[in-house]
Amino acid sequence: MKAPGRYRVAALLILCWLCLLSFSRLAAQTSRGSDIAVVVHPDTPLSNLSLSEVRRFFLGERQYWTAKFPVTLLIRAPTARERHVVLKVIYQMSEAQFNQYWIAKVIRAEAASPPKIVYSNDTANELVTAIPGAIAFMDARDVRPGLKVLRVDGLLPGDPNYPLR
Amino acid sequence: MRRMLFVVCVWALATSTVQGQSAPATEQTPPINALLERIEKLEKRVEELEGRQAPQRVASPADPRLTPPPSGPTPASSAAEQPRKTQGHVEHAQSPRVDTTYPSLQFRGFADMNFSVTDQKGSVSGFNLGQFVLHLASPLSKKVSYFGEISFSARPTGYALEVERSVIRYDYNDYFKLSFGRYHTPINYWNTAFHHGLWLQTTISRPEMIQFGGILLPTHFIGVLAEGNIPSGGLGLGYNAGLGNGRASLISRAGDAGDANNNRAWVLNLFARPPRLYGLQVGGSIYGDKHSPETGPNARELITSGHIVWAKENPEFLAESANVRHREIPTGRVVNSQAYYLQVAYRLPWLEKRWKPYYRFEHIHVPDSDPVFRGPNAVANLVGSTVGLRYDISDFATFKGEYRNIRRRAGDPRVNGLFVQTSFTF
Repeated sequence: MKAPGRYRVAALLILCWLCLLSFSRLAAQTSRGSDIAVVVHPDTPLSNLSLSEVRRFFLGERQYWTAKFPVTLLIRAPTARERHVVLKVIYQMSEAQFNQYWIAKVIRAEAASPPKIVYSNDTANELVTAIPGAIAFMDARDVRPGLKVLRVDGLLPGDPNYPLR
Repeated sequence: MRRMLFVVCVWALATSTVQGQSAPATEQTPPINALLERIEKLEKRVEELEGRQAPQRVASPADPRLTPPPSGPTPASSAAEQPRKTQGHVEHAQSPRVDTTYPSLQFRGFADMNFSVTDQKGSVSGFNLGQFVLHLASPLSKKVSYFGEISFSARPTGYALEVERSVIRYDYNDYFKLSFGRYHTPINYWNTAFHHGLWLQTTISRPEMIQFGGILLPTHFIGVLAEGNIPSGGLGLGYNAGLGNGRASLISRAGDAGDANNNRAWVLNLFARPPRLYGLQVGGSIYGDKHSPETGPNARELITSGHIVWAKENPEFLAESANVRHREIPTGRVVNSQAYYLQVAYRLPWLEKRWKPYYRFEHIHVPDSDPVFRGPNAVANLVGSTVGLRYDISDFATFKGEYRNIRRRAGDPRVNGLFVQTSFTF
């Protein structure tokens, strides 16, 4: 092989190595944000919901699991990653729109109160355990044993194409 | 070729330099984790302390700290209050929290301030205080809730107090909720979407066809209302069905103190919010009543209406129409009147998404032969356009500026007006 040819091969190899390095860094960054699990009280009579059904619950359009089993919505406080994902994927609203939506919902007498705010996933875990009918979103790594993680569109956190991430 | 190799080497060097710069961030990860752990510990500590204070709060219900926040997001402690009450037993030791007492009253207020100037003969420009409105929501138990709305409107001699809504509702499940009281008639979208909360609506004023104090459509209804979802899969259907007192003999008023006759008004409203087309609402209503005016013949009234709404803000679209059919009872003569409006708005993506231009066209057609909408109850044959701009000063307050061009009767000159409003919730 002639000298220019060797240089070309070497340059290509270095380029490939650099590309791989970039991709691996990108992949590592992506995996840091884990999936957001939809967590419910263990007695909740459902284990799989479509994304649009999850949306209906969190929009307050469905307020009962069964006649004797009201839904209690829990949502993380602003700045939490879980809230960001929920507003983006479920509500498709900004913070301002979210506030306005729930103010309107209550004054329309369509809901007695907006979702309850929780300030940590620990609190969310405790409340979902304690309140029959509670539903919350949390980082899948923070879900405590004993809680029920709902499938969304048949998928669990960690599955490919899981919608809440 | 050497030049190419040189470039690649420089790139590799640069990349490694960047990597070197970003390294400290990775090194800082353990301290950040430690900080997060400390924050979590502190949060737990705060929760414990809040839990210890709980008995004191329960002991003094007059404590202002117990007042639940208005319908804005509620703190975690409120959420934790739920288990005790809903389960009917003392909460477990892990989260020793405040007990909730029923009723749990929440307030939300709305107010607005206006300035207007028009070229209509005899009109006076200037400021006026809009409505001061209080909304009340109070769960009375797990399944029973009260909702109220009170308005104070400025009048030349003082303030007019009005109980706009007063509703007690029992929820059986998502498909059946039964309520009694005074409502905004679920006869079209606007009337039940925005109520008296001017801050909620994009424009300064309601469309003419559904103005409060107007007479084309009955804005209030007193009686019983069933509502809920209809199992319909992907259609997302819902309904309202009501029976009650219709219009009073003074047509702009509802029969709060009793109906004007022995004929009850009824209303049926069906709507669809398909989950797959999130933001869309399509619906229609039908309303029937017998109208017994103070003077003039009795008439049967049948109102049919429809709406299509795209509730997202990029764009926002509202369109509603209504047909009011009056049949004069003595003669059997039938007259139909129509009204509609179209409104579009778009929240601009720049400048923190605070600006929202809008436009509305509206039209009302009432034949002169209508047996109800005449004399003191005459409804203008209106054609009008409104163009405006809404600026959200904060998440809970807004400035709106509007130009309106309206002709109220065929042959009348068009009236131009400039309107400015600040409206807010608190």
